[in-house]
Amino acid sequence: MFCIAAFIVLLVMGAFSARYRRHLGTAWSCTVRRVTFRPCDTSFKQDVKDHLLAPIAVRRPGLVAPASIGLEVLAVLVLLTTLWSGYTVLTSAANLYVYGTCNKQDSASCTLGAQACSIPDESPGFVDSLAAFDLLGAFGNEFASLGETLAAIPARFQTWTAEDYLPVNASYLAETAGNPTAVEVIDPGCTYCRALFQNIEEAGFAGSYNLSYIAYPISGTDGYKFPNSLLVTRYLEAARLHPLPEAPTPVDWQILQRIFTGKTAAGLPWQDSINSMSVPEATATLTGWLAEFGLTPAEVDVVVAEAGSDRVTAIIADNKTLVEAKIATVKIPTIIFDGRRHDGLVAVDGLR
Amino acid sequence: MKRSTLFRRPPAPTGADPTGTGDGRLADFGYLASDEVYLDAACQSLRPQPVIDALTDYYTGYNACGGRVKYAWGQKVDREVTDTRRAVLDLLKLSARNYATAFTLNTTYGLNLLLQQLPHDRFDRIVTSHIEHNSVFLPTITAARRLGVERLVLSRAADGALLYRPSQLEKAVVVVNATSNVDGRPLPNLADLVRDTHARGGIVIVDAAQAMAHGTVALQRTEADAICFSAHKMYGASLGVVVARHELLASLELGFVGGGMVTEVREEDFDLVQGDPAALLEPGLQAWGEIIALGRAIDWLGGIRPGGRTPADHIAGLSTRLFDGLTDIQGLTLLNDTPSPVISLHAPGQDSHRLAVFLSHAQISVRSGYFCAHHYLKQQLGLPPLLRFSLGLHSTVADVDTATEALARLMKGLH
Repeated sequence: MFCIAAFIVLLVMGAFSARYRRHLGTAWSCTVRRVTFRPCDTSFKQDVKDHLLAPIAVRRPGLVAPASIGLEVLAVLVLLTTLWSGYTVLTSAANLYVYGTCNKQDSASCTLGAQACSIPDESPGFVDSLAAFDLLGAFGNEFASLGETLAAIPARFQTWTAEDYLPVNASYLAETAGNPTAVEVIDPGCTYCRALFQNIEEAGFAGSYNLSYIAYPISGTDGYKFPNSLLVTRYLEAARLHPLPEAPTPVDWQILQRIFTGKTAAGLPWQDSINSMSVPEATATLTGWLAEFGLTPAEVDVVVAEAGSDRVTAIIADNKTLVEAKIATVKIPTIIFDGRRHDGLVAVDGLR
Repeated sequence: MKRSTLFRRPPAPTGADPTGTGDGRLADFGYLASDEVYLDAACQSLRPQPVIDALTDYYTGYNACGGRVKYAWGQKVDREVTDTRRAVLDLLKLSARNYATAFTLNTTYGLNLLLQQLPHDRFDRIVTSHIEHNSVFLPTITAARRLGVERLVLSRAADGALLYRPSQLEKAVVVVNATSNVDGRPLPNLADLVRDTHARGGIVIVDAAQAMAHGTVALQRTEADAICFSAHKMYGASLGVVVARHELLASLELGFVGGGMVTEVREEDFDLVQGDPAALLEPGLQAWGEIIALGRAIDWLGGIRPGGRTPADHIAGLSTRLFDGLTDIQGLTLLNDTPSPVISLHAPGQDSHRLAVFLSHAQISVRSGYFCAHHYLKQQLGLPPLLRFSLGLHSTVADVDTATEALARLMKGLH
């Protein structure tokens, strides 16, 4: 154990100083023998320990024995932390490849992946489980998560066809015969979805693809991550169920356009405003928009009633399953086009 | 690495025996820092300044090949080398009519040059003892195999005398040390051994590596057939020396040959040099500077009087102090029963290598391990690695006290 820990330390220190590099060969030889369950054939361990203990020995010889035990404990800790670090690097790399984020539990915290709102993993993390003295749960959840990641690797090789992931009553920002289909997973309250929408507009994406969306309000610790996302989603789905035939752009898309690109009279983006509104305020705003977008009062009433219906509830539940089980993304927005799945915010150039 | 100051004594003035009692450091070792305690002279003695100067003079003043050039520098080298050969024989009180002095790399190399070139069909056995350095123990094994003869490994008495029956010496090659590198044990029956061996047609080769620095008296006028030793253990530069009888050198079946050994070379044969038996062990260019430095070391040994005493007396006094100091420390097991310039010990429950590292951190250099006497210490006595303290003429009373106090403090704390 000590040899292996010493090798690890020397490897790091050797990167900065030749003084330590000269001992790497011996340490490596000893490490190889130890990991193959053979005794070390040099006095490397003894030499290192003796030199570390010598300053203590000449000052306080009585402390040599406890210091020696301390070194052994330290070696175990170095080894464990190194193994855990290596494991974390590997799992992070696998997560980055599969999900586009190195931290599956909180994808937004990983700066290596594209910017996104994360879909939180509701199972407790390794450290949280340990803190709760749930050792079995800690390792069980960790390895279950790893297994899930590994099992998802083949999905990265598949050709993603947007038509396979369209929700019921799909509506399109613009629909042109012959254009391929694209579908995005969005949360109306997510700022990166707003940024994606702006990129889509700037790239003229809707002219090249028939773009649809799956509205997915991200769950939070207490309800939803963005308080009014579910309400907006209900209105979007209701508007889809009762389309306005003469509208140049579907009403639900007009709502999204307003949220993602519009600003209030005070100059505040509508998305920020809605995110901070109470439910009655948000409801009033959405209802007002329906009238503004050309719905008659009777049609508005139908949409409002539909937004609270079980039918819409079922559609949202189906979409949740579609996102979590079939697409299996942990980042919002996610957009599928051109045979690939793009997790997180896609730049304008990536959309062209 | 920053080292402890706890065991350091206050800086002492350097110079020739500043206390006038023989307790101070000899000025010839003035380069040694006052807080450094070097107690591994059995491995390699510190070189006094005149020896260092002699070597430096050669390299900077007349750095020429010896034995083959006519220009002035080379002639000077030849004179100095000849003087050193004579000085070695004078030190051992041996006659150049019977003995020659050859130079090589070290004692091990010298012993191998002799043992691996012994003539076939002349000897019936090789005799050695258990308490031998690997420089003797190993080549006697290979030499016995090469000659196809038996090898007897005999015991030594507590006083160091070789325990043998005369019949065991019949046509024997006896190879033994004159002083053990483990506990300084001498070979008091060397004269009897040589006489009995010669009476039965055998020869005696002495490993004098540990004896030459302070124990040449026991070797003087010996009738041994060869004496091998190292200049670097007797205050000289790194060099091996073989003093051998002309007859033995002439009888060797030479396997190592080269320039400096021949007068004529033909396509399939050569003529060896005549009248220079030492040349038979000196193929190729020699370490001229080191040979010259050995001459200076012998001069220095002959003239130095630490505290007005002979080197042997000075060392004997320090040996007693060291032995007493170590004996007083609880928890140590000494191999020595009596004072000696070489004292080995171990502390049950403590690793000697670790103790050596700890002492080194207090700037005290002592040897740990089996000191190339693995068979005797590890196999025969079943001992763990040991700690060895060995004295030289650079050593002082303060060195001895610092070392024993440091070890005592360590032992007290570690137990």
